[in-house]
Amino acid sequence: MSRPDPIISPAIITRVKEFGESDLLVTFFTRESGLQKGVAKGARRSLKRFVNCLDAFCLASLEYTPKKQRDLCFIHSGKLLEAHQGLRSEYGSFSRASFIVELAETLFPPGVSDPRVFDLLKDSLKALSDEGGNILIPITFEARAMAIGGYRINLEKCCICGRAYKGEGRAVFVREKGGISCLGCRQESALSPGMEPESIRALRQMQDNDLGQLKGLDLSGGCLKEIKNVLKLHREYRLEKRLKTAKFLD
Amino acid sequence: MGIYPPPLEKLIEQFSRLPGIGQKSAARIALYVLKSDRELAENLASALVEVKDQIRLCSVCFNLTDNDPCSICRDQSRANGVLCIVEGPGELLAIEESGVFKGRYHVLHGVLSPLEGIGPEDLKISELFQRIEPEGIKEIILATNPTAEGEATASFLAKSLAEKGLKITRIALGIPMGGDLKYMDSLTLQHALKSRIPLQS
Repeated sequence: MSRPDPIISPAIITRVKEFGESDLLVTFFTRESGLQKGVAKGARRSLKRFVNCLDAFCLASLEYTPKKQRDLCFIHSGKLLEAHQGLRSEYGSFSRASFIVELAETLFPPGVSDPRVFDLLKDSLKALSDEGGNILIPITFEARAMAIGGYRINLEKCCICGRAYKGEGRAVFVREKGGISCLGCRQESALSPGMEPESIRALRQMQDNDLGQLKGLDLSGGCLKEIKNVLKLHREYRLEKRLKTAKFLD
Repeated sequence: MGIYPPPLEKLIEQFSRLPGIGQKSAARIALYVLKSDRELAENLASALVEVKDQIRLCSVCFNLTDNDPCSICRDQSRANGVLCIVEGPGELLAIEESGVFKGRYHVLHGVLSPLEGIGPEDLKISELFQRIEPEGIKEIILATNPTAEGEATASFLAKSLAEKGLKITRIALGIPMGGDLKYMDSLTLQHALKSRIPLQS
């Protein structure tokens, strides 16, 4: 059986682990194939084939041969395209980048690919690197990635009585239904927090738009807190786990 | 049931638990041990037990040692006041082998890595802060690796130590000895040019 031809593709490196004496085990996202794992032979000693390109959160052009069935793919060489220097020089940005990478890996494991996630991850890492203090980035990433992954929060109508939400008045987030309800159907509580119309509008925009289209989004502190809380409850309920990186976000 | 007799299977299983050693390598090493003199097996077994019994962390710098404090912390000829921060004992050893640093060390035992669930409280960072005043530390050299985690750890420490009024330095980053400019990436070249030094005539 012939070996597949090597592919050259931009890749976002998510994790790098030492493997044996001088090799690296690399986890990366590509636009076409999603999350993959591969071995870069001799990468720890290489002064030519892998110069500073196999590091977490880097965007690199990788030349690799895809895996046969369940084997690891073989990474031949790489070239650094974007190091995202801002993520290294600010721990807050580094923690936020770790969160979005873990969420992307959880929502889109190997075999589940979507080109929109690669673009979202790439744009979000760049934005975090360039404007690390912007706490909106991990929130908008989470809302959009969950929506792409099939866990979009239904903000159009009451998930209990079915009445359309017209953008007026408070509503309640119902985590087991993955949507909002009117106050008549569900009372506010810690597990069913209330949301202002402003928060619902903003969350809808975050779920439907790419990062570039949200440039002008300006949210009040209260609104941001509501959205963060709803996304956290939604994520933990749908993914049935707590992300390791979530505790480093604040 | 395995293809080897149970005691050999057991040895292969134990070797394959070590990092970087797969089933095949474990079988190869186990067969080598079996073929060698009894002395090799006895020495190996006693060395393994000895290392677990005798090696511990130095209570001052957290390097591996069989005597507390370690030989570096006990050495009166070394300069006090300059502390070199490293990720682990391997990095400390590499700097020691170079013979150019004659100050004191502090071993963090890892780097910040939220993806692995490692935060500041999982490293020897509070212990570092506790050393600063009693030891009269004047300069901190951040010698973590130039990886994303190493750099983020260095940035975190630099920021946390900023209000202590210390001189905080980072080891130089740039073109490695024996490297080739043609193959260097933009970030490395950027660092190398930023950190250039005048040549003395």
